[in-house]
Amino acid sequence: MKTAGKRILMAKTGLDGHWRGPTVVAKALRDAGFEVIMIGMARPEEVMQASIDEDVDLVGLNIGGHVDVAVRAIGMVREARPEVPIFVGGVVPPHAKRKLESLGVEVYPPGSQLPDIVAAAVRLTGAA
Amino acid sequence: MDANKNKDRLWKSASGLPLQKFYSESDVPQEQRKRMAADPGVAPFHRGAHPGGYRTKAWRIFQLSGFGKPEDENERIRFLLEQGETGFIMEHDRNTGDHCYNVDHPDVVARREDVGLTGAVMQSVRDIDICMKDLPLETSFGHAGGAVVQHAPFALAGYWTVAKHRGIDLARLPGTGQSDFFLTYLGCVTKQQVPTAAGLRFNADIMEFCDKHLPRWVPVSIAGYNGADTGLNAYQELGALFANAVEYLEEIKRRKTMPLENAARACSGVNFRASMDLFEEASKMRAARLMWVQLLERRYGITNPKVANLRIHCVTAGSRMTYQQPLNNIVRGTVMALAAALGGVQSLGVSGYDEALSIPSEHAHQMSVRIQQILQEETNIQAVTDPLGGSWYVESLTAELVERAWGFFEEIQDQGGFLATLDSGWLHERAAENQSEDFRQQESGEQVIIGVTDHKDDISPFEVDGFMGVDDAYDVALERLQEVRRTRYEAGAGKALSELEAVCRNGNNIMPAMMDALQSEVTLGEIGDVYRSVFGDWATPIQT
Repeated sequence: MKTAGKRILMAKTGLDGHWRGPTVVAKALRDAGFEVIMIGMARPEEVMQASIDEDVDLVGLNIGGHVDVAVRAIGMVREARPEVPIFVGGVVPPHAKRKLESLGVEVYPPGSQLPDIVAAAVRLTGAA
Repeated sequence: MDANKNKDRLWKSASGLPLQKFYSESDVPQEQRKRMAADPGVAPFHRGAHPGGYRTKAWRIFQLSGFGKPEDENERIRFLLEQGETGFIMEHDRNTGDHCYNVDHPDVVARREDVGLTGAVMQSVRDIDICMKDLPLETSFGHAGGAVVQHAPFALAGYWTVAKHRGIDLARLPGTGQSDFFLTYLGCVTKQQVPTAAGLRFNADIMEFCDKHLPRWVPVSIAGYNGADTGLNAYQELGALFANAVEYLEEIKRRKTMPLENAARACSGVNFRASMDLFEEASKMRAARLMWVQLLERRYGITNPKVANLRIHCVTAGSRMTYQQPLNNIVRGTVMALAAALGGVQSLGVSGYDEALSIPSEHAHQMSVRIQQILQEETNIQAVTDPLGGSWYVESLTAELVERAWGFFEEIQDQGGFLATLDSGWLHERAAENQSEDFRQQESGEQVIIGVTDHKDDISPFEVDGFMGVDDAYDVALERLQEVRRTRYEAGAGKALSELEAVCRNGNNIMPAMMDALQSEVTLGEIGDVYRSVFGDWATPIQT
């Protein structure tokens, strides 16, 4: 695995402040050798800007609220960095999951296991 | 699955206490054996708050509720009351409420679809009035919202102002506030909030104000739940909760503005989480009552049984509700509710079976009420107080939790006290350690979660898609905000806001000025702006 040097941006789209999920995921990704840049609760345009400034290879979004906020962030990142893959975790009900998957985004709802999330990051960043 | 796997398993409680194959009399510590002779309803109260237990009063069915516009939330609360809920909780929208922002704040506008998803948007007393329409304020028991420390003065003053407008004497108004540090300084950390010292001041101000004007109101309610669902284990939850209570009591002691006994009574309605380890959680409620007696007597010399008698609201662990096979959560909710009832709590909320997907649908809410009604009416559980009392296992667990919890309490004191452990991030580290350990145990197979780690086949014909809420909460809130600004008596609102700012600066009790501000239709975001200019922001100790 060539995870060293691969950079992952992690952001929360909502203002709900739940940090359990993203923190546990960030730790697992770091343990696997990734560099993780956490920007916490960020507006869609802030996510987009950070994806450029931090020159990341993957964007991970934590959703605690409405899917449309995430969809807006995804659209902005896609426009600025079309080559960067995006994956999403958090409280994502099935209807929101379907919507995100139709946009080509991988979704990891509650109950997802860390090895699966790390494996996805490896695959999506081409570190395999 | 390996039929022999139980043989090699390391059996321990959810908080890691090693468990024996069975318990005998000699496993119960001497001191605890002496306590076993006490009846329920008398000190040290571990056996129960009332001698008659649930015969005297059934536990209150008390569900978190709220979303959308204030009228949507009002409708849901009235639905729950019709279904048999015996108190009600008014959730405010978190984007606006927790942050004290109006909906036109740039950070809210950027997430406008999130608005109203987790509570009704209430920016002025007009919104609160709509949310409280026709609610039985005097005959039921209301939670005014304001679970978040910096939001509580606004939420409480709003609720009380509406009650006054309806001709209710505040001296007779029952209900509860919350103002919980665990919620946004540990569990869901807001983007901006006042520093902990300012928050402590708000809470002490609320306690003083209630002491003078609202003797039947529970001014603050420490919510160990929010610590536990962030990762603290059972004895850490206990230790941290009482360390928090000490902060409140020391502040009142320093102020000398009200009798310390009254302050202790003001802190004696607390909240714990009930999770899946049935016996540990039931024992935790018993341990909590015992610890409150010990704390008050040893540290403050308070032995008045009316004060030393801890009253517990319990909420079942939202984090244990699974996304996968959500109907299994009805069983989980039942088991956790049973733990709470066996532990003798006064009030209970059961998380919705769709908790991991969304806020509760109407049906999930109805099921949360039904679970409690079935337990109350069909199982005979209310007949006998402290049904687990005298079990060598439960008495031994109770004693061990008390001992470990005091150990954790002392660790917190060594760190400089509860608020210091929030400021430094020490408590967050303790929670994070447990979170990682939980995941590790799930990976290794030590911890099994049905439908998630094992038995993943789901043949349910019922699709649970998550509650959608409403899609006009933001637009309506924006219109109403503009209408308040256009139609309120501007000079009066301006004067009340200036007075509030002066009080924030001069250190007098904030609540009279907050009551005037709500009466004068000052809005939530304006109050938040005052806080931010006077107190600044808490320096969040963790990276999220």
